[in-house]
Amino acid sequence: AAGGAMGGPMARTIHAKLTAALQPTHLEVRNDSSRHGGPPGAETHFGVLVVSGCFAGLPLLQRHRLVHEALRAELAGPLHALQVIARTPQQWQSDPQAPPAPPCLGGSKR
Amino acid sequence: GTMRAAVRIGWRIGAAAALRGRAVRPLSQAAGESGGSESGGGSGSREAVERLVREHPVVVFMKGSPAQPLCGFSNAVVQILRLHGVEDYRAHDVLQDPDLRQGIKDYSNWPTIPQVYLNGEFVGGCDILLQMHQNGDLVEELKKLGIRSALLDAEKDQEKK
Repeated sequence: AAGGAMGGPMARTIHAKLTAALQPTHLEVRNDSSRHGGPPGAETHFGVLVVSGCFAGLPLLQRHRLVHEALRAELAGPLHALQVIARTPQQWQSDPQAPPAPPCLGGSKR
Repeated sequence: GTMRAAVRIGWRIGAAAALRGRAVRPLSQAAGESGGSESGGGSGSREAVERLVREHPVVVFMKGSPAQPLCGFSNAVVQILRLHGVEDYRAHDVLQDPDLRQGIKDYSNWPTIPQVYLNGEFVGGCDILLQMHQNGDLVEELKKLGIRSALLDAEKDQEKK
């Protein structure tokens, strides 16, 4: 992965802030900047997978707001896009009946 | 585990969807884009945004248009709605209006575009719409708006495919 195992400064900031704010039992931070045309080393587009008990009882919108709140300064600054998957530990451990991926999003027909 | 696989599929779809966007503008270009109107309230004011989100049961604030999305995440929203047969909705291109672009973020207290509003209520961005699509919530929310998802008909009338 570009930037080494821990990634660049933004990746480390995202990791640290989400850890402090949400005490996740599982956390993944993915740098997608190169997929959006960014040069090597760019840190503008990220995806995060956050598993935290803080999300219990909260609908998706509220979960995502918690994540955004933790990264408010970054999102107001150089962090341009943030994909979020937010699960409770129970959801993460269980085996839900997740439907298969919608076909149109997996390939272009035009 | 299957859960992890399912989550990763969803995550990758989101990432793959990001690649679908056509003519993605370089960030420096997007940041420096003109339009720079000095108007204070105007199109980004709370009142103006309120009018827009209530204009139609389904309102989307995006980059580009449904015919030509300019961002993979916005494209994902368009594609999901299309899967459900929702083609009649209001779409606002925030790239055409810097005041609206900031105003919609202030209104929803949400930092990114696209933003989806159902019945005047903010439901989330691309990630949330995708998850709602995958877990069946979107079909239910559309039903509450009196919109019958095309996916229900697809299940019934397989011969139409």
